[in-house]
Amino acid sequence: MTTSDSSSSPSSSGTESADLNPSSDPGTNSERVQSQLESMNLSQPSEVSDGSHTDYGGGDDDAEEEEEVASANGNEGGVSNGISVREDGLAGASGEEEVEPSSSRAEHPVEMEAGEEPPSPTSSGYDGERGSSGGATSTYKADDASEDEIREANVDGDTASQHEAAWLPGKRHVDEDDASISWRKRKKHFFILSNSGKPIYSRYGDEHKLAGFSATLQAIISFVENGGDRVNLVKAGKHQVVFLVKGPIYLVCISCTDETYEYLRGQLDLLYGQMILILTKSIDRCFEKNAKFDMTPLLGGTEAVFSSLVHSFSWNPATFLHAYTCLPLPFALRQSTGSILQDVCASGVLFALLMCRHKVVSLSGAQKASLHPDDLLLLSNFVMSSESFRTSESFSPICLPRYNPQAFLHAYVHFFDDDTYVMLLTTRSDAFYHLKDCRIRIEAVLLKSNILSTVQRSIAEGGMRVEDLPIDRRLRQKPSSTSNQGQDTSGPERLRDVSVGTGGPFGLWHFMYRSIYLDQYISSEFSPPVTTHRQQKSLYRAYQKLYASMHEKGLGPHKTQYRRDENYSLLCWVTPDFELYAAFDPLADKAMAIKMCNQVCQRVKELENEVFLQGASPFSW
Amino acid sequence: MASAGNKNINAKLVLLGDVGAGKSSLVLRFVKDQFVEFQESTIGAAFFSQTLAVNDATVKFEIWDTAGQERYHSLAPMYYRGSAAAIIVFDVTNQASFERAKKWVQELQAQGNPNMVMALAGNKSDLLDARKVTAEEAETYAQENGLFFMETSAKTAANVKEIFYEIARRLPRVQPTENPSGMVLPDRAMDRAVSSSCCA
Repeated sequence: MTTSDSSSSPSSSGTESADLNPSSDPGTNSERVQSQLESMNLSQPSEVSDGSHTDYGGGDDDAEEEEEVASANGNEGGVSNGISVREDGLAGASGEEEVEPSSSRAEHPVEMEAGEEPPSPTSSGYDGERGSSGGATSTYKADDASEDEIREANVDGDTASQHEAAWLPGKRHVDEDDASISWRKRKKHFFILSNSGKPIYSRYGDEHKLAGFSATLQAIISFVENGGDRVNLVKAGKHQVVFLVKGPIYLVCISCTDETYEYLRGQLDLLYGQMILILTKSIDRCFEKNAKFDMTPLLGGTEAVFSSLVHSFSWNPATFLHAYTCLPLPFALRQSTGSILQDVCASGVLFALLMCRHKVVSLSGAQKASLHPDDLLLLSNFVMSSESFRTSESFSPICLPRYNPQAFLHAYVHFFDDDTYVMLLTTRSDAFYHLKDCRIRIEAVLLKSNILSTVQRSIAEGGMRVEDLPIDRRLRQKPSSTSNQGQDTSGPERLRDVSVGTGGPFGLWHFMYRSIYLDQYISSEFSPPVTTHRQQKSLYRAYQKLYASMHEKGLGPHKTQYRRDENYSLLCWVTPDFELYAAFDPLADKAMAIKMCNQVCQRVKELENEVFLQGASPFSW
Repeated sequence: MASAGNKNINAKLVLLGDVGAGKSSLVLRFVKDQFVEFQESTIGAAFFSQTLAVNDATVKFEIWDTAGQERYHSLAPMYYRGSAAAIIVFDVTNQASFERAKKWVQELQAQGNPNMVMALAGNKSDLLDARKVTAEEAETYAQENGLFFMETSAKTAANVKEIFYEIARRLPRVQPTENPSGMVLPDRAMDRAVSSSCCA
């Protein structure tokens, strides 16, 4: 059922093969027996440890994570439960250490400490280890039933958030708090709190009602800090509790979504960045003046910004690839928009961006100013999620956390239509009329070359499709002389009829190509059989794992990885120039898959002038 | 500022007030004749322009709809400096928003342009049952502080046009030029702050 192949090499490309943890993807459909066997099998290194035990196995972290999840998946039987705390290796010499505090053999795999403080896996696991009594968790009542429900979070819960189209601005479920069963059932919580334990943001529920819960989280963090250490991750059965400390701001994610620790931490980083974008890092000074400072009023009206960012973690690959993506456009059109944006920048504008939803049409920056892809992501999320920008021209202070986290820039935002908007950033607070004038100049160019309708057409047509990939010989026939969109072979050229319902040639379902040098990626459109939002999300999660394992520190650089489970065959190929992530039918032939990947790369290179923004000089960071 | 040339007046107008008082709703009703029940929070400030014909002149309003959120308060001077007019909006169903409005009036009296035309708008006047601030109370306050007061409803459009007309009528007819409409040269923006302090 679940097989993995870790020693493949696309021989045709001459890359080296790399060995990886042969760990399966414990997806939602994974067979119980299988996963149980696996958990017994794989879990052994961590399960033997009873009580406090430190395991300096930095490189095994990933494997252990998977085991934890797997054991939680084996819903029945006496699979013991491992609770592990990962801390910074402040005490240990080498990197990260794995602390395996209490893997008590509980009757139910996920149950914590015999149900004393059941619904708070964090604190119970933690308390179990340190022996500090459950003062921090006193808000909870022992409740076995609700413990069960936490485990079964996927029964109902936030199905709405699983559909991009169903995303509604603003926070939902404000009526919930940590005593609500529905709140506890949520698969993924995000919290921002201050170092005095005051709630700042919670994905679900009313922050003020969660004061007790925030205090609990704060207690955990500060307890470890008092020991001269830092808590990064607590694992409790299926749940991971990820911590991120940013000065006086604490960020916590509690998740049973089976995402990697690295990605969850990356999500907290982005969440923090989004907050900085709204308030700048000078917020730290408020806490210096008054440790009990209440920050919630300062974030008033931004719930939609955060909820849309959290939503994007499940559909926007930019959140883990740390690259941006462009709307496919004819080269000449992108050039002409680029040059007007460059003109605008020459007149004292720091950054000029023409965007279409979350994709870049063109952008330019003042000399020596560079925009980080993460800043771009946060900026477009901010603008796209705030309805207010669409009503008229707006002028708003924003901060680019990667550019300068201390200072505000002023952003002029104007929507040309429902999807396409311009953002002009400047350091001058009095530049509104100048920026408005720049926008008028840009608009004139857009109208003249009819760019807005081309953009609309490109949205409608979508990007590259796996069905359109030429098979072997056809590739030679048609070198991309089509100066027409990135969406090249439309109509008769399509091979849809050959491969209808089965994705592209040789079982290729989807791919993402990230150009390292451009900091951009191109992702193929989803096509059958990956059609529902749930399937897409699951594929992204598989990619995220792949990404994390390829970029893991300490395991050496990996160049290729081929991984097969019951859902996909995944192939990843990393070179100094690009990274390719491709998903195939699980039954796809490996040799053919490797050939296909070479073709994808070749195809992307042929189309690079249309799918990438070339020669954006300020982007050479 | 307002500029008179062939009875064409350009006037910068700023809306101030608490979160949720209805500043954006008032402007959208005035400029686009639209109303949405759940208007989203304004980010930073939104810019609109709208032209009104009064008896003796054509007034082109350049309207700054500021965000009521606390984090934007420090930006307010950027918008009310150099304004010819201000509408301070409060929600008649919310006493706190009325108190907040009084604070804005104080700030404008202390920092703003002395000749500024100030209007106090008691918005959401359609919500009769939920009223917390009486018209008399607001009227008295307005008279004491040299503002004119109107109860408005962006939802029913009651008094929305009227309050802007009334401002247009009260605007001084001769004023120094600022930001001529249409084309604004890049460095004009710098002049705004300067010209703001020299209204005759």
